This record gives sequence, structure tokens and C-alpha cells, in this order.
Amino acid sequence: MKVAPNPEPLLTPPAMASAKLRIERVVKTFQNATQTVEALQPMSLDVQEGEYVVLFGPSGCGKSTLLNLVAGFEEPTDGTIFLDGKEVKGPGNDRLMMFQEHALFPWLNVIDNVMYGLKWERAYRFRFRARRKRAMELLEMVHLTEFARSSIHELSGGMKQRVALARALAPDPQVLLIDEPFPALDALVRAKLYAQLQDILVRTRKTILSVTHDPHEAACLADRVVVFTARPGRLKTQIQIDLPRPRDINDPQVADYARGIAAELEDTNEEEFGTKP
Amino acid sequence: MKKNSERNHKYYVLGFYLLLLGSWQLFSSLNLIQDYLFPAPVDVARRLWQLGSEGFLWPSIEATLARMAVGFSISAGTGLIIGLLMGMSRLINGCLRSLFLGLQTLPTAGWVPISVLLFGLSDHGIYFVIIMSSVAAVAIATSDGILNISPIYLRAARTLGTPAYAMPSHIILPAALPGIITGIKLGWTLGWHGAVSAELIKSSVGLGYLLYMGRELNDVSQVIAIMLITILFGLLLDRFLFGLIERSVRIRWGLESNAA
Repeated sequence: MKVAPNPEPLLTPPAMASAKLRIERVVKTFQNATQTVEALQPMSLDVQEGEYVVLFGPSGCGKSTLLNLVAGFEEPTDGTIFLDGKEVKGPGNDRLMMFQEHALFPWLNVIDNVMYGLKWERAYRFRFRARRKRAMELLEMVHLTEFARSSIHELSGGMKQRVALARALAPDPQVLLIDEPFPALDALVRAKLYAQLQDILVRTRKTILSVTHDPHEAACLADRVVVFTARPGRLKTQIQIDLPRPRDINDPQVADYARGIAAELEDTNEEEFGTKP
Repeated sequence: MKKNSERNHKYYVLGFYLLLLGSWQLFSSLNLIQDYLFPAPVDVARRLWQLGSEGFLWPSIEATLARMAVGFSISAGTGLIIGLLMGMSRLINGCLRSLFLGLQTLPTAGWVPISVLLFGLSDHGIYFVIIMSSVAAVAIATSDGILNISPIYLRAARTLGTPAYAMPSHIILPAALPGIITGIKLGWTLGWHGAVSAELIKSSVGLGYLLYMGRELNDVSQVIAIMLITILFGLLLDRFLFGLIERSVRIRWGLESNAA
């Protein structure tokens, strides 16, 4: 009897097993009353420890869906996501998500927001002082110590995002997930935030998976850009960005990469339009 | 510019009330209305002063407020717990919402006869009326507040590792606070209606009792004076106590800007 050759190896190669975050043949379909929508076609992706990977693609390509799957807000229809070799189930602060809107809690002031996530950490559970100390360190990192006691509504948009970043980093997550980090900010504030974010990244060496549709942002922040096709989302290509950090968003080399990334997206759009006369 | 027009607006409102009061006094002074049917503002003020100096007014206000303090505390606490359960369980919400909406169509005074039958003429009956008048409003507003919580807060809480048992106390109640305060404010007003309605029939002290005595003695000035006092204290607590808390919470929650 002949056995059909298996198209994919059953055993994971040892080199791949060391990936921090491993997304293995993940599929996601959404079902509503009338139809089934395919958001993600089988997708595999490895993220190494300390790597900054940006998911880039047209809107509706499933990049945010993938982020939600990694965060555990949704379950994959098929396939598995591993963090440090362990299967991901449900949300948790080992894969902490930063949202498009800052999502800070308005009933807490700045420092209490930053301290919030520590409350559920074993090391900080009943240690208010230790929580406060850690939160102050993080506020220092984002240069907001003098606003520790402010209410959230008193802060500007950029300051809110910096507090959100401090809050997300406080429990020291294994992977930081960022969904369109700084969408509604003006260019000057954004450039400053990118510089600050990179500064923090260099210091903490966090593993980051983020989503954007701004090619400049992708080129400025990422070690690797993963380009998606339009819906249903598939992996189109990956672009390694070998530029030293910190990068300036206005640097011509960054702009070159951004142009390259944007060109990938244009191809995708052409394919999309090509099928529909 | 805007501030200026707002100040003018306030003067117009003040002017309106002065005009209202002035024309009321004018009608009475010109004997266009009979003073035993509808007294002049000065008569009302004089009667109010008398009630105050004879020691009837303050104990009555105190009694009504004390009943509200007891009745409404029970009502707000109960309404909050029921509302929390409604907000967290679709089934409980489905069952209780229709019941409460039904009960709310009953005027607050409609609870008075049954309270007399159940509790006789004791103060417990007044608490009963206050509670039944206001508990549904608090519960419904609390559950609405919970159901309207922006999902982003729940997701942020989960990604930050909040365990399920801590969600109600740390996230759900604080996130629903603007809705809860609106409910408490509305509940207070309804409870106030209930308290005065109940006192009309079954008490020997209180604002409702003074209203009732005014009617018994054919004293229109007293009736109008107590009506004004009832409005005044209702407004004071509704607008100034709960209103200010509500506003500061709404500003802090980013639902309202503090510029206006």
C-alpha cells in the first residue's frame, strides 16, 4: 500500500522550535447569519525573541484578526499559536495588548493605571510599595513622572498613549502586541513617540508584534515587515529592515524602505482590482 | 464671546422668574384673583415664615429627609445589586427588565394604598413606598450602564490579567459609574415623590403631612408654601448634590468636556 506523501513535515525543525512566538497554520473564519467570511487563510509565522515584527496590509486583510488571536481574545478556527512552546489559550498578560484607543481606565489616575496590571502579578500581589516603585520607573521611562497624579482626561492624546505604553510594559509581558499604536496623533508628536518607543525597545529588548497601515511607521519601527494580501489574508512577502536604531522617521533610508513597503501594497491592490473589471 | 452670551442667558432666566413673581403679586394686589383661592407671594412668604418660627417647618423637612435617607439607602443598595446581576446575566436581565418597566408605569402614589394595608400607619410603610418608587429606576439604569460599557475596557482588563472574580469590583462597576449615578439621581427624584405622597396619607410629621394639614384647614398659603419647599429641597439634592457628582464623573470619564 502506498502512502501519500505528507505535504508538510509533522515534526517542527529544531531551529524553529526556539521561536518566541510561533503561529502555526492558523485559520480564522467568521460566521454570520448569511455567510462565512474567511479572514485568515492558513498562516504560519515565527517571531524571535527581541524581534519587532510589523504586520502590514490593506484594511480588512486580517492583520488585526491575527493580533486578536495571539492576544487570546478570539480562538483560531484551525491551527495553533505557541508562546515559548506552550499553546496560547485566552487572554493573559504574557501577551499584553496595546489598543488603538488608549483604553486607559478613567476612574484611575495615571499612576494607578500603570500600577493596575501589577496587582494580578504574583510578585506584586500584596506589595503596594513595590507596585508604586515599578510604576514610577516606567513613568520615568516615558517622561511623565510629573503627571503621576493627574486624571486621564487632563492628558493630551500623545501623553495618553505614553501612559498606555507604560501600563503595558509594567507587568513585563513576554510579547507586546500593538494595534495601530499612534493613529490619531499629529506628525510631530508621532515622530517623538517613535523615537521614545525605540529608545525603550533598545533598553528592554521586548518581543513586539504590531499592526499598521502606515508604511513609514513600519519602516521606522520594525526589524521585519510582514506584508499581507487583501482579504482573505495571506502572507504575501516579508521585508527585513537592516537599519541601525534609533531610526528617524524622516531619514531617507527609512523613506526608501517605506516606499518599498508601500509598493507591495499597491501590487496587492492591483491584483484586487484586476479580478474585478 | 460664548461666555458673554451665556451670562446674558442667565440674566434672562433670572428676569423670567422675577417677572413671574412680579405678575403673580400684581394680579393679587389688583384683586384679579381671590386671595382665598390663590394667595399673593407675600402671603405665602408670611405663612412660610410663621411655619418656620412656630417650629413646624424644620422638623417636617428633617423628618422627610430622614425617611428618604433610610428608604433611599436601602433602595439604592438593592437596586445596585439587582442592576449588577441584570447587567451580567442576559437571562436575569430579560426577566427583570420587563417586570421593572411594568412597575415603573405605576405612579409613585399608587404604592400608598397597598403600603397602608401592609404596614398600617407606621414609618415602615413610607420606606416601602420610597423603595418601590425608586428601586426599579436604579436597577434599570445600573444594568444599562453595565451593558453600555465600552468593550475596550473589558478587553484591556483581560489583557492586563484581571481574574474573573475581580472584574465586577475593579472594572464593571467603575466603568458603569456614569450610568449608575444617573440612575441614582432619577431614583432619588422618584423616591422623593413617593415619600411626600405617602406622608400625605399616613404620617403626623413631614412635608406631605403639612400639605395635607394645609388642605384640611383650607390654608392655600400653607399648601403653596410647602409645595415650594418640596420643590426646593428636591431640586437642591437632585441638581446640586447628585447633579454635581454626575457632572464631575462624566467629565472624568471623558463623556463631557469641562469647557461648557
